[in-house]
Amino acid sequence: MSQARELPTRIVVAGDGPLGVLASIALKRALPRAELIVIAIPPDPAAFAERVGTALPFTNRLHDQLGIAEDDLVRKAGASHRLVTRYFGGGGPGQQGAAGYGAAIDPAMRTAFSREWGGGPRNSETGPPPRSLGEVLAAAGRFAPPSGEADSPLAELDYALRWNVPAYRAMLIEIAQGLGVRHERARITGTLPDGSGGLAALVMEGGVQLAADLYVDCGGSGAVLLSELRENRWIDWRAAFPARGLAIGALAGPMVALEDRASWTALGWRWELAGRDGRQDFLAVPDGATDEVIVGALGSEPATIVRFAPGRQEAAWVGNVVGLGSAVAELEPLGGIAQDLAHRQLALLLELLPGRAIDPAERAEFNRRSAMMADRAADWLAAHYASPAPTAQFPTLALSSELFRTLDQFTRRGRLPFAEEAPMLTQEFGALLQAVGVPQGEGPMGAAGEGSGKAAARAFEARATAALQAAPPYGEWLKRLLSS
Amino acid sequence: MSDNPPKTRVVVLGGGTAGWMSAAALAKLLGPLVSVTLVESEDIGIVGVGEATLPHIRGFVERLGIDEATFMQATHATYKLGIDFRDFGRLGERYVHPFGTFGEEVAGVPFHHYWLELQRQGLAQEIGAYSLAVAASLADKFQLPTADAALTSTYGYAYQFDATLFGPFLREHATGTLGVERLEGKVIEARQDPESGDVTTLVLESGQEIEGDLFVDCSGFHSLLLGGTLGEEWEDWSQWLPNDRAAALPCAFVRDEIEAYTRCIGMPAGWRWRIPLQHRVGNGYVFASQFISEDEACSVIKAAVEGEPLAEPRVLRFRTGRRKASWRKNVIGVGLSSGFLEPLESTSIYLSQMAITYLIELFPQAGRIDPRDRDEFNRLVDLEYDRVRDFLILHFHATTRNDSEYWNYLRTMPVPDSLAEKMALWREAGRVEKYSDGLFYDASWIAVYIGQGVLPERHDTRAQLPDPDQIARAMKGLRAAIESEVAAMPGHRAFLAANAQRLATAP
Repeated sequence: MSQARELPTRIVVAGDGPLGVLASIALKRALPRAELIVIAIPPDPAAFAERVGTALPFTNRLHDQLGIAEDDLVRKAGASHRLVTRYFGGGGPGQQGAAGYGAAIDPAMRTAFSREWGGGPRNSETGPPPRSLGEVLAAAGRFAPPSGEADSPLAELDYALRWNVPAYRAMLIEIAQGLGVRHERARITGTLPDGSGGLAALVMEGGVQLAADLYVDCGGSGAVLLSELRENRWIDWRAAFPARGLAIGALAGPMVALEDRASWTALGWRWELAGRDGRQDFLAVPDGATDEVIVGALGSEPATIVRFAPGRQEAAWVGNVVGLGSAVAELEPLGGIAQDLAHRQLALLLELLPGRAIDPAERAEFNRRSAMMADRAADWLAAHYASPAPTAQFPTLALSSELFRTLDQFTRRGRLPFAEEAPMLTQEFGALLQAVGVPQGEGPMGAAGEGSGKAAARAFEARATAALQAAPPYGEWLKRLLSS
Repeated sequence: MSDNPPKTRVVVLGGGTAGWMSAAALAKLLGPLVSVTLVESEDIGIVGVGEATLPHIRGFVERLGIDEATFMQATHATYKLGIDFRDFGRLGERYVHPFGTFGEEVAGVPFHHYWLELQRQGLAQEIGAYSLAVAASLADKFQLPTADAALTSTYGYAYQFDATLFGPFLREHATGTLGVERLEGKVIEARQDPESGDVTTLVLESGQEIEGDLFVDCSGFHSLLLGGTLGEEWEDWSQWLPNDRAAALPCAFVRDEIEAYTRCIGMPAGWRWRIPLQHRVGNGYVFASQFISEDEACSVIKAAVEGEPLAEPRVLRFRTGRRKASWRKNVIGVGLSSGFLEPLESTSIYLSQMAITYLIELFPQAGRIDPRDRDEFNRLVDLEYDRVRDFLILHFHATTRNDSEYWNYLRTMPVPDSLAEKMALWREAGRVEKYSDGLFYDASWIAVYIGQGVLPERHDTRAQLPDPDQIARAMKGLRAAIESEVAAMPGHRAFLAANAQRLATAP
């Protein structure tokens, strides 16, 4: 007879940044009777994930599941919506393309509507035509979130949110406090092993021992708890990525926009994250870049440069300690990918939530899937460096066998193999490859005339027109929500 | 001026189900790029017992531009909502593996954890009671599922049909509508390019020579080109799937209602199927010849069937496993020439369909085969085979039957590591190893695990959080909703009669 596992009585989350607080909300909601303690950790200078206030569409679903309302994020945390990221120069000077979200991206990406509608507002010479509703709406500056009705013209639309990090954290803390999560400000001075590969207790400042059934390490790249355990193999990704540092620009003036931009520079990708409370620029910096070149590529004096070494822990869950975010994987935060990975790992922990005792098979399953998530996130990022301009600059970057296969299939055949635990739908990944300038081949179905029918093109055109009519100008929509 | 590249000449060898599925699909979806010729020999005959299918076949038929009613009429098809397994986990026990789900997840916790919790408290009915597909099956009811988010959308359906009619029906469509050329004749030689080893020409007994760029080997277990000419190695899986014979015996109906499901009944040295079609009932005993002789098996199936036998039992021989590579040089094996698992769970036609789909996706461009595409094809085919294999082995291994040598062997045999890990995760924690690419997902694994008495030791801790009365009430509500949906559904035969264009004319 199957027994429900005993409920965990106490869970400790190390790290009180946005990820730690979000994890405590998630676990407290899942286990209302458990005691949840979040321990403050001195800010990690390398924790850039915590400074990047955006993720990918998956996070919207997680927020929703955790009762974190999107309207509240707009009202209290300066949230705004990103429909596309527009990339410049990955395919060479003058090349640009926008990558959107959602299943409604025209898979053939060359409907008559796309061909005839032209290249958007900027540069009709080099810009490819729109291939998703998101791109059409972003170009027109119109947006409203889908109402949830299946037949709404905006039903297929998907988007990512950006937010103001301190305000977001404050909002999460308020929710966590409301749920009864305890905030512990004492420092961790040591740990006691439990004899089976995990932790028996944390030793706190003043000598008090804090025991728990489960420890969650949201302590950033220092991995405050995981680093105390038996040696965990570090899988080095440095061969795949040129960046060893992230230059972060000073906060610029407010910018309300439905698209973010990323441009290829002499050093790496420069990424402009729009925001209602200010725009922030990020630049990936390889070793050996001079200050002058960095300033030139970033376009301003960086407020800070954070160094990091891309890679991941082989196992994210060791003993009774589960690591999330930078504690287990370090990667450039471009486009929100690092936060997206952290949030996916958190959702996986909720899916495979352990009882008071931990089942090794369940932990192994978490590690199997968490590793795949990290590897596919790394592939997503590495795809940014696989287009012509980055490849010319960094010709020796290593590709995972999965990404190699994907790029090979895409460039020769326009085909995208399915990948388990990928951060995006295959059609979203295709849109990204196009936008960063990876040349796309044509498969036999395309050559045989499948999928390029006029009917499909007319259907897309009709959907785009209906979506434009249904969505108000973004500023108007924001004003309405903020005043309601 | 036309710069159309020359068409790729595809030669399909074999006119069974896999052959005509391949020919029709390639001609339909790659039309202007290919010329398709199919060579078949009436002397060789086809296996054609795969009478039950999986829901994927619907999309295949639709994509070929074939109307469902026409197809059902031509193949005497009935609807299938799942499989009724009897005497598998234990003698006298029964469960339905539905084309559908059980309940709904609540607060991110899958339904079966709540079910396990209630069952522990003695408050739950069998898990099948919470599946509309199972309930409709057991009531011999049928209705088409809806596409909304309602309870009536929680199932799918497939067909039970006369497989000997499916090939000819596709042949009609392929040669009549899609322009496939059909040649009759026995292949006596396959010529190869002396340098590349590629097959270049098939020579028929009549002396006729058929040249091609790409050869699709649908010659069944003979595997004339892939296994024969190219000598592609066979990976034998009989240590896990020892059944190697089937004694097929069609019978007349004994009852009026047509079951909208296939029956699979565990037998002392195998299992037998019972598949109701419009005009007859298909039966067969799938057995392992190392545990029972062919003659004995034939007597057993004759004694076991209910209706009047319409013929003598016909014994088919097969073996379980697959070619190490299904695409080698310019030969692609589709169907039995590439591999076969075992008739249980009706995966044979699906595996052909899957291979055809990948072949079309990875079809050589401008007539040139890129080894990377061939590798990708073989990777995808292997992945599907391996996952289906593990799922099938589970049915035989997860048993407490100890009434025969056959079941003793299966119960105690070592299973592949990939399955052992999946079972450990289920046993420890009630979780199903997740994958999104492949054939059988959570609901299928749960149906078989629970149906065959493999209950986890522990389930999700959150299942005990809601008030037990509250869960019990919700389950009761779901049960009532299912009962009322089933009550509103017509009987399977009545549904067919009301859609008479689906009915075959009386034989």
